[in-house]
Amino acid sequence: MAVVLKADNVGKKFSRTLSQMMFYGAQDMAASVFGAIPDSQLLRSGEFWAVNDVSFELRRGESLGIIGPNGSGKTTLLRMLNGIFMPDTGRIELNGRIGGLIHVGAGFHPLLTGRENIYVNGAILGMSRKDIDRKFAAIVDFADIGEFLDSPVRQYSSGMYIRLGFSIAVHSDPDILLIDEVLSVGDRDFSLKCYQKMQEIRERGATIVLVSHNEYVIRERSQRALYLRHGRPVFLGPSEEAISLYIKDDLELKAIRSKEKRAEPQQGVSKKAEILGLRFLDKDENPVSGISTGKLLRVEVFFEAFGTIAQPVFSVNFYTDNGLVYSANNAYENIVLSDLKPGRGRLILTLPQLHLPTDTYYVSVMISEKNPADFIDCQHFAYTLIVERAPNARGTLKLSTAWALEV
Amino acid sequence: MEIYEANKYSKLGIKVWPLMVGELWGARELVWQLFIRNFSVRYKQSLLGFAWAIVLPLMAIGTFVLLKKAGIVDIGSTEAPYPVFALIGLSVFQLFSSGLTVGCGALVKAGDMIAKVNFPREVLVLAAAASVVFDFLVKLVLIVCVCGAFHFMPSIGSVFFLFAVIPIILLTLGLMFFFSLANAIFRDVAQIVSIGGTFLMLLTPVLYPVPDRGLFFFRLNPLTALVEGPRDLFISGRISDPSGFFVAAVLSVIIFLTGWRVFHMVEAKIPERL
Repeated sequence: MAVVLKADNVGKKFSRTLSQMMFYGAQDMAASVFGAIPDSQLLRSGEFWAVNDVSFELRRGESLGIIGPNGSGKTTLLRMLNGIFMPDTGRIELNGRIGGLIHVGAGFHPLLTGRENIYVNGAILGMSRKDIDRKFAAIVDFADIGEFLDSPVRQYSSGMYIRLGFSIAVHSDPDILLIDEVLSVGDRDFSLKCYQKMQEIRERGATIVLVSHNEYVIRERSQRALYLRHGRPVFLGPSEEAISLYIKDDLELKAIRSKEKRAEPQQGVSKKAEILGLRFLDKDENPVSGISTGKLLRVEVFFEAFGTIAQPVFSVNFYTDNGLVYSANNAYENIVLSDLKPGRGRLILTLPQLHLPTDTYYVSVMISEKNPADFIDCQHFAYTLIVERAPNARGTLKLSTAWALEV
Repeated sequence: MEIYEANKYSKLGIKVWPLMVGELWGARELVWQLFIRNFSVRYKQSLLGFAWAIVLPLMAIGTFVLLKKAGIVDIGSTEAPYPVFALIGLSVFQLFSSGLTVGCGALVKAGDMIAKVNFPREVLVLAAAASVVFDFLVKLVLIVCVCGAFHFMPSIGSVFFLFAVIPIILLTLGLMFFFSLANAIFRDVAQIVSIGGTFLMLLTPVLYPVPDRGLFFFRLNPLTALVEGPRDLFISGRISDPSGFFVAAVLSVIIFLTGWRVFHMVEAKIPERL
């Protein structure tokens, strides 16, 4: 099938300070007026590459995810694909009408009504008045703004504003759709509606480029992904691999940071015991940093007690970016462990079937005496565990099932 | 197929012109929508609405009529009643001065939109210019009323009046292209333009006829011919300095084409500089 989007060694440079930006801007503009073609390959002092040497090709109906930490050039790349920024090096070829959901609602005027803004915004996105007339009902219906259609948009809630912007953008019938994290803004209902609409657009044969921090979204919505770091492409290939690589890199960086953190002595905690370390083991007792969901996981906690600790309480907590997902705590499960004597020891927590969904977890470990809230020592977010997708499974969980068929 | 690369337009040479015309033609609907938008936003929270277009000329002319009556300034004799004469001059000149003022803001005010959506940026300048032309048309109604009040019958040549203002509109557009860009980089430009506009009005025979002394100096200023030409047509039916008007008109066309070309060449660099 035909290539609809081709990026060839695309690069973009920016300057660090405003005064340099103004100076270079004036210089560049003057140079292009006088016909001198500036050598855009070179960096001047204070400039850096926001995107460097990115190449890929997309065919009809394909989708590409772009991942990477903040400031890695994802949005800049997307803006270049949309023609807002011209690349300084390389070239981008596009075949078809491009639609950007980079910042929906840009160009809305707060004093104008929703109805008026639909026409203005539609025209900005390249729709003719006839197009807009024809799709007007569908746009209003999808945006679900109801009686607010004839109110100025400054009276809209932020959700309504985004909904209207999104609705206009998707109804401009793009062949190539560029999406930048916008779908995370609306409420759940609307997000779902957006994904359905995206699916519909894709089934119609449109090509999608998607920037997201949400690995589920990338995994589910795009076959391939481009992983950027410091503007450079690190990996381009199947989404699953790109995500694992990104997470691995991220963890290495975090591990370095948390090691530094762990080295700091804890303040204000009575040291009757100290946690020395923690390991994750699989069913064959091999230390691992990642495990498939649904498999057996052992957590091994090493500690040293400096006195006798009656009825010790251990808790091992699993967090994601969204907060606590699971806390294993012997006190809450009414399990009384034998008292600790001075000296070193080891606790083994076994989770026979790890029912945590696929994600990256930050693990905290605490030790307390009797009352779980009074901890003697703790290590917050000091460890990381990657829960991977179960082989031959769809979705982010693996649950044990029983099936019965009655005919 | 759309291609994005560095210095895309610089490489095209003369072939860029049909491309520019095509782009603009494709965006005509957008110019219209933005004009309507600017128009309705401007008067959304105002009582007088577009009557504001005639407030400033009325006040300026009232002041000059007063100064003239009091003998403070000697304006000399004009072929038409002074208010008619001054109003036409001011209306034509304001095409230029208001044009430059809104031109400076055309890109800067749309910063958010420019940074986030891709569309031909010329439309912002054109939509701004359209609002100035609209104001001019409102003032024409005022001119007709004032003519009636002073029992002045415009000459038969005034049917060409609207054609005769095209050069000053082109000159303004050309300079708007330059100043909108310059102001996007250095915000000082808007200040300079607003101060410069006032001085230029006093240095151009807008509220007074071309004096006999210092004629050479006035003829150097292309605005003299561009303001005088349409006014002569309206009042007496013939342009008093046809060659001067012709030269100024050619100059205007050149400035318009240069401004447009320069704008088109560097517009791709605007979003990152705003």
